[in-house]
Amino acid sequence: MSAAQIRFATLWRREVNRFMKIKKQTLGAPLLETFLYIMVFGAALGSRIKHLHGIDYILFVIPGLIMMAFSTNAFANNSSSILQQKFQGAIQDQLSSPASPMELLLAFSLGGFMRGLMVAVITFCISVILVGLPVDHVLVLIPSLALVGFFFSQLGVLTGVRAEQFDDVSFVQTFVLQPLIFLGGVFYSAALLPQPFETLTRFNPIYYMINLVRYGFVGFSEVSIALSLLALTAATGALFLVNLRLFSQGYKLRA
Amino acid sequence: MAELALDIGELAKRYPTGVEALRGVSLQIKQGELFGLLGPNGAGKSTLIHCTTGLAQPTGGSIHVFGHDATGNYGEARQAVGLAPQEPNLDWFLTVAETLDYHAGYFGMPKRERRERTEELLETFSLTEKRDERTRTLSGGMKRRLILARAMMHRPRLLILDEPTAGVDVELRLELWHYVQRINQEGTTILLTTHYLEEAEQLCDRIAFINGGEIVGEGTSSELSERYGVASLEDAYLALVGRKELSRSHAEVVTP
Repeated sequence: MSAAQIRFATLWRREVNRFMKIKKQTLGAPLLETFLYIMVFGAALGSRIKHLHGIDYILFVIPGLIMMAFSTNAFANNSSSILQQKFQGAIQDQLSSPASPMELLLAFSLGGFMRGLMVAVITFCISVILVGLPVDHVLVLIPSLALVGFFFSQLGVLTGVRAEQFDDVSFVQTFVLQPLIFLGGVFYSAALLPQPFETLTRFNPIYYMINLVRYGFVGFSEVSIALSLLALTAATGALFLVNLRLFSQGYKLRA
Repeated sequence: MAELALDIGELAKRYPTGVEALRGVSLQIKQGELFGLLGPNGAGKSTLIHCTTGLAQPTGGSIHVFGHDATGNYGEARQAVGLAPQEPNLDWFLTVAETLDYHAGYFGMPKRERRERTEELLETFSLTEKRDERTRTLSGGMKRRLILARAMMHRPRLLILDEPTAGVDVELRLELWHYVQRINQEGTTILLTTHYLEEAEQLCDRIAFINGGEIVGEGTSSELSERYGVASLEDAYLALVGRKELSRSHAEVVTP
């Protein structure tokens, strides 16, 4: 391995090591949360609703839950890891190393991506075993989930870098992401909503992400797949470029 | 002329708040020197160190570490520098051994070499028994040892010690002095900041005084005393920071 490869692998390993050391909180809690949703919305509510657009309600809900688990964990990991390191001053060890802004950004991003991916994969495996979750369009599913994970990893990095106190992170999580995810159609179809809520839902970017992932799993979507993939790619790319610029400028990282 | 370990020219740093921490500082440290940077709190010592190590971004001037531009060619420059900061900035999630291993990894050191170097430094700094403990459980003295060991992990050619003996007990202070002198004799250039003038006097080849973001005096301890017509480095320091009245040379002897 070259010095640059060793450096990047170590930066990335530090991020994975952090969440693996507190597994109960970083992997156990989100898995429990996801299964409580499956129990409540799938088993309890599903026995009354049965089908949505011809799909078992539980199978309609699980793709959204997987997407939600991936995104919230990717976001939470990166935002809190960066803020904690800023608080402790420990981030100075990485910042005073020869690592480039690109290496630092990618390593911080991939930590959260890995945590989100692990929660999503475990949820997926158990869903396959318990309710026979299908994968109808794997070529849409994989890029969609990868883009969703990377988008929220970037958003977590941005929030962590900008944040000056833990309240700043929880504000974004509680008052921005949570409502957007819940109102993005994880548990219902937008077509069932009365106006103006149906139209309003179409302004929610997370609605398109949920539909992409749902299409990948069960083959149903309320939106154009190609257009949504294109928009998500553009948004993820734009966010990455914003972060790269902030890292290059040392914004709130270097005095 | 031998290559300079650190060559700082007209370095300026103005924070977004408008505070001018450095006002055109120029400083040259030769290879193999043990150089002391002294000054009161807020004089600009830490800002100068942060600019050199990439933790702060200069607003003017230049910094070269062994000929490498610390802002343009920062990779090579930072590779040559080891920093033991004033405030313990250890990662709470890591153990003592991991702290050393990860640091060396950030500087591109291969696994086998990292393992050997970690063992060597754990032994040198009497940290072997604590190797698997999380850093936040360490005592203040142990943290200080670990920070110095971490700074040495990637074998830097220039070691920057920002008040390394602040708040440590006498034994540890003496241990650190011995270690610093030994690695300096082995060829590592050292930039030391301290508030203990006795420490600077005993350890450093040359000393610079910084005050108000400017270098206000530079030379050997005796040169500085001679230049200001005083008996000791402490009096030279007090003359430079405008507090001559505190000099112990003028203190009246009080007989019981």
